[in-house]
Amino acid sequence: MIPILEIKKLYKSFGGLEALKNITFNIEREEIIGLIGPNGAGKTTLFNCVAGIEKPTGGQILLTAGERTTSIGGKKPEAVTALGIARTFQNIRLFDNLTVIDNVKIGRHCRTKSTFFGAVVRNKFQQEEEKMITESANRYLEFVGLKGRGQEIASSMPYGDQRRLEIARALATEPCLLMLDEPAAGMNPQESRNLMALIHRIRDQGITILLIEHDMKVVMGVCERVVVINHGEWLAEGKPADVRNNPKVIEAYLGTGAANAA
Amino acid sequence: MGKYEPQNLTRGAMIRIGLLILALIFPFFPFVSDYLLHICILIFLYMILALGLNIVPGFNGLLDLGYVGFYGIGAYTSGLLTYHFGLSYWLIIPLAFINGAIWGILLGAPTLRLTGDYFAIVTFGFSELVVLFLTNEIWLTRGPLGLPGIDVVSVDLTLFGGPKWEFVGELPYYYLAIVMVLATVFVMYRIQDSRLGRAWFAIRDDEVAAVSCGINLLAYKVIAFAISAAFGAVGGSFFARWVTFLSPDMFKFWESFLILCMIVLGGMGNIWGVMIGAVILVSLSEVLRELLPLLGLPVEVRFLAFGLIMVLMMRYRPAGMMPIPAVAAQMRAGRKKRKKIKPTVGIKK
Repeated sequence: MIPILEIKKLYKSFGGLEALKNITFNIEREEIIGLIGPNGAGKTTLFNCVAGIEKPTGGQILLTAGERTTSIGGKKPEAVTALGIARTFQNIRLFDNLTVIDNVKIGRHCRTKSTFFGAVVRNKFQQEEEKMITESANRYLEFVGLKGRGQEIASSMPYGDQRRLEIARALATEPCLLMLDEPAAGMNPQESRNLMALIHRIRDQGITILLIEHDMKVVMGVCERVVVINHGEWLAEGKPADVRNNPKVIEAYLGTGAANAA
Repeated sequence: MGKYEPQNLTRGAMIRIGLLILALIFPFFPFVSDYLLHICILIFLYMILALGLNIVPGFNGLLDLGYVGFYGIGAYTSGLLTYHFGLSYWLIIPLAFINGAIWGILLGAPTLRLTGDYFAIVTFGFSELVVLFLTNEIWLTRGPLGLPGIDVVSVDLTLFGGPKWEFVGELPYYYLAIVMVLATVFVMYRIQDSRLGRAWFAIRDDEVAAVSCGINLLAYKVIAFAISAAFGAVGGSFFARWVTFLSPDMFKFWESFLILCMIVLGGMGNIWGVMIGAVILVSLSEVLRELLPLLGLPVEVRFLAFGLIMVLMMRYRPAGMMPIPAVAAQMRAGRKKRKKIKPTVGIKK
């Protein structure tokens, strides 16, 4: 089976700093894959390259959604979203002044069409589309466990709920690959357990998940495969348990953290 | 905490209908003079302009200092089409709208890639360019001599064998202005609650997140800029047919600043706030125009007053008199928190 995302010899440099050097790995369909590495290893840069926010200096990123394979290296972020890659951010980026439901509705943007004319005239097409947007937005809110809280202002919600709202907004773009950038950061153990359950439920919908995470409990608990990068270079890849025992990885990153997680 | 509940609709609707009825019967009060009506029309005109400008800073979070350029373009579109071709005002409205939008796209498409202040500077330059063009291209605009004798608005039913009725005095313009304000407010409300409006709000709140939701930043900013410019031009087209005289110095930078003040004063992004801002600043401007000469000061001093208002607003109420619901909710929550926290802090000390 063709992997959903193939990253081939990816390079990214900022001036003289080589943030990514020759990164190659595949993401298989419907797996939960973790991307780990010490601070400054280039994890978020890799995310940004895949999401189209950064333009890679070299290499290829191939997305196979459905039957079609598309090269997305250097494509614009809105085009990447339309192709089926959604993401969340390390520092939560919600639309703070909008209601919870409007945040999710904006996620539907790339799957809907009407603009100025529809907005002013409210023709039949626009009305039906708007109805569908509201219905699906409510469905996504219910899915992440924020049912009935649509009218709250996004920025006034507790931290954990904001994380879940961000996931709901990403899901609303109907992705085939969901990238989560440190989803468990700042969560208490109870919240991370809920998050892990949510990640499993998202995968059960047929969505592949790539996540960056520092919380080893979450990585070990939820990921089926882990890719380790260090100083912008591919270091190791494999099942979480194997990676945890890989001496190179322990040296570069896990250290005593591995012992604690075990 | 911070829960946003839509206002009691029936009460809000009653206030709206009440205000509308008041506006409709206002000219028939015995104390209303032509001068007062003139100011009311001016208020309505600035409401249209402020609502149009509001799209860019209020809905998209971009600073636009060159709005008056589009106002001028609309006014001269209307003036010249009337002067040379004698077009009916009802045809000119859509033409001015389209011409404003075209210039909005022409200016916006190359410059909206710029961020923040740089974009503001470009728009400022554009409005100055428009004034220079209107002043120097004498073959087209008669330059500083101005464009006098523009026909008044008329309802011409002669084609259908009806009468031709010309707008004489302020009263017909008063009602025309009300209709145009209502149309503008209608469009704004519809946009606010649509996919387009949500995309704009997303851009205002967080561009990176907006782009990750599949919003094409440049395209949506250009749409915003074009629609904003189009409303500015429609305001200008009305202005030309109302005062029946145009000159380039009517479209100086101060107008942009005044309209921006209305938005900031009323509450950026809030349709009602923006309209109230227009009422306050236009009335204040007229009061000062009467008052300042009595104090022995030149009329231009009123801009100092506007500047002072801006500074005070920024210091004490940066979100405006009527902030958007989310900000209002946060302010309420903030007040409550502060009140609750204060005593505990005192005890700890």
